[in-house]
Amino acid sequence: MLTFAFRKLLTLVGTMIGIAALTFLITNVAPGDPARLVAGPNATEDMVATIRTEYGLDKSLPEQFIVYMGELVRGDLGTSIVTTRPVLEEVMRYAPATLELVFVAMFLGIVIGVPLGMLSAVYKDGPLDQVTRIFSISGVAIPAFWFGILLQLLFSVDLEWLPVSGRLPLVTRPPEFVTGLLLVDSLIAGNFSTFWTSLQHIILPAIVLSFPCLASILRVNRAEMIEVLQSDYIVAARAHGISSFRIIALYALKNAMLPTLAMIGLRFGWMLGSTVLVETVFDWPGIGLYAVSSALSSDFKPVVGVTLMIGFFFIVANTLVDLAYAWIDPRLRKA
Amino acid sequence: MTALLDIKNYRLDIGTFDGPVHVLKGINLTVNRGDTLGIVGESGSGKTVLVRSVLGIGPRNSKVVEGSISFDGQDITNLPEKDWTKIRGIRISMIFQDPMTYLNPLFTIGRQISDVIAAHEKAAGQGVSSKAARRARTEELLDQVGLPNPSMLYSQYPHQLSGGMRQRILIAMALAGKPDILIADEPTTALDVTVQAQVLDLINSLVEKLNLTVIMISHDIGAIATVAKRCAVMYKGEIVEQGMTQDILNRPQHEYTQRLLAAVPDIDVPPERVAAEVAEAKPAKRGNLLEAIDLKKVYRTQAGADFTAVNSISLAVKTGEIFGVVGESGSGKSTLARMLMRLIEPTSGDIIFDGQNISGLSGEPLRQMRRHMQFVFQNPHSALNGRHTIGDAIGEPLRIQTNMSRRDIEARAEALLDIVQLPKMFKYRYPHELSGGQKQRVCIARAIALNPRLLILDEPTSALDISVQAQVLDFLQELRSELNLTYVFISHNLAVIRQICDRTIVMKRGEIVEQGDTEQIFLAPREEYTKALIESGRKTSQAANLQA
Repeated sequence: MLTFAFRKLLTLVGTMIGIAALTFLITNVAPGDPARLVAGPNATEDMVATIRTEYGLDKSLPEQFIVYMGELVRGDLGTSIVTTRPVLEEVMRYAPATLELVFVAMFLGIVIGVPLGMLSAVYKDGPLDQVTRIFSISGVAIPAFWFGILLQLLFSVDLEWLPVSGRLPLVTRPPEFVTGLLLVDSLIAGNFSTFWTSLQHIILPAIVLSFPCLASILRVNRAEMIEVLQSDYIVAARAHGISSFRIIALYALKNAMLPTLAMIGLRFGWMLGSTVLVETVFDWPGIGLYAVSSALSSDFKPVVGVTLMIGFFFIVANTLVDLAYAWIDPRLRKA
Repeated sequence: MTALLDIKNYRLDIGTFDGPVHVLKGINLTVNRGDTLGIVGESGSGKTVLVRSVLGIGPRNSKVVEGSISFDGQDITNLPEKDWTKIRGIRISMIFQDPMTYLNPLFTIGRQISDVIAAHEKAAGQGVSSKAARRARTEELLDQVGLPNPSMLYSQYPHQLSGGMRQRILIAMALAGKPDILIADEPTTALDVTVQAQVLDLINSLVEKLNLTVIMISHDIGAIATVAKRCAVMYKGEIVEQGMTQDILNRPQHEYTQRLLAAVPDIDVPPERVAAEVAEAKPAKRGNLLEAIDLKKVYRTQAGADFTAVNSISLAVKTGEIFGVVGESGSGKSTLARMLMRLIEPTSGDIIFDGQNISGLSGEPLRQMRRHMQFVFQNPHSALNGRHTIGDAIGEPLRIQTNMSRRDIEARAEALLDIVQLPKMFKYRYPHELSGGQKQRVCIARAIALNPRLLILDEPTSALDISVQAQVLDFLQELRSELNLTYVFISHNLAVIRQICDRTIVMKRGEIVEQGDTEQIFLAPREEYTKALIESGRKTSQAANLQA
């Protein structure tokens, strides 16, 4: 198991290098001269040339790549033109908000999706199964921004139950920084009213973000459960007198969780990408919103920085999924 | 004395889209304490549905139309689920056909068995005993079924064990509740010959030691005869004949039983064809159609070690003969067969087909070569694409390898169906509408579509019922003389090999143990392994039991 984990970590590093190379290439094949972009529309040829040398853009592509990778290794993601602060610092500042949102959304997706999928499989074609079917089709079909606005209108504008947007009201002092996740930090600080406020803020964006994910987890889990419940070892477990509950909740679910886990890993990456939309709708101060505002002001480095960051989280999440796979399935441990 | 199990006029329907199917049609069967009852029948005869009904785990959508099952005086026909917990696995337990799929792959052996013990303790109303106590009991059970080193096995997973070991573990699980009745559903079908004999011995010794009542179902009359004193023959949802096993084997009354027994290949009878062939006067020195020289296949395992699946095998198949390859699972026979066709790349060695070395061929020349050698797979159910019609399946090689027009291909497909003795209209059908034997004929038709010279048959009858197996074997022999074919015939079934192969190699762990004239090998095996193989084959060979 340890060597397995080590090997997975090595692949993680490899994939990270791949992502870095890819973002580098994409930014370089994108149309437009970056030097001219930086210099602004009114710059003279001289100024552009100066900037080109300053940014090392006059060197050959491989040379630029080596410089770029060297900077990455040192944690240097460049500087934002708009704020003139290092991109890494800014990304690190915004990342916890996004991660918190994604974690809560993923939690909802798993805690609701897995049991519902399980029940739909056990009572296949029953009323519950029909309801979850409609539910999951809408989950995949409804666009996130539209669903978000709909929820805002209902719960914030009409019912006034929940805040429209943001992470915390301006008047509330955020708890002392420990993890950057407000829900966790407020609990650590023992500040329950802040916990409650931030929970109220996160619930709508988290629901919007988790809805499609929940739907696909539900469907995958249902399909797998149906298949596993027909397998020979389930028949054998019944014949040996094991109780139905134990068979479904332990014997079958553990087997059905394997493909569900893969789906969770994929959906995690998808969620990180979707934060761009959801954070914009809910004015959530995460890396998605940061990337959008940077892109709108042609600020180039932050977009690359966010892409790398999302890529990094995605790979880490999938490495964890792989490890969980091996933890669940003994047949994979050797591989 | 009341019967332990009494099945009276039991009728069961399974609901389908096309209305109810009558699966069991008025079954009458009694089993007394200490009985060993065998139920023989082919696939689809309803024997599995019957025994599963006894355990209340019959198929979904099934409905008892008439009759009853009572166990130890209690009517269990429509027992509610919660009452089953006191019976299922405790008083009646079951072992299954395929030990590979009936164990949960994600839990350790110890966990699975001690879970069964815990479930039984709960059902009995007593508190669940401690983990250590259950572990001790589990190890005791593992020891009872003759498994070495129970304490190590406890923390192992199913995939780390061989088929025979897994079957023993399933038996241990079935014995966990000290059952009154043990139902064995084809317990040896998926096992190698030598392992089959061991498992049957184990069941016999347990019957004696624990005074078990056993119901064993099988399509293998030999296995039944080894264990069961009484025997019932099932055919199309009915019991057509029952009585003492010896009587039924010696004097079968029902026409179906007679047919079934006649179809069983006999390991101890030399085939008639041998005499006929000698009289035929062999053509002077037939040349070699296929030669393998020093063929080797080494796989690299995940751990980095080398695993030699096939080790330096040299063989020569003469034109027109049936060349047998026999061995247990894992002996490398399928790897060898696939290498001969270059479906698997050999690590080293040469393959010479009709004087040409094909081991270096690639691309178009290899593709051209392939039309002369075709493959027939073991399982006809998975060898045909379920979404293609039979006509498409047979026509496929013609479409790939020739420029024939669609009309010509269709005509040829009809002709091929005719050769394999199936109606022409079958070309419009889909695989699921055909029986196993019919499907295998379609696979053979597809294989001979291009007029190949060599057919490699990988266990072509193993997935088929015995009576169907006999038909397919006869048909293969006819076909060979008609189309002038050469066969490489792979089987684990020694009786089948003896019946049809001219020369045979015996394989073990990737090497040839013995080779030569088939009759020679059966009459005077030189190697210990061959002797052991024939001996265990004989033990389960139906024929041997007939004369007992």
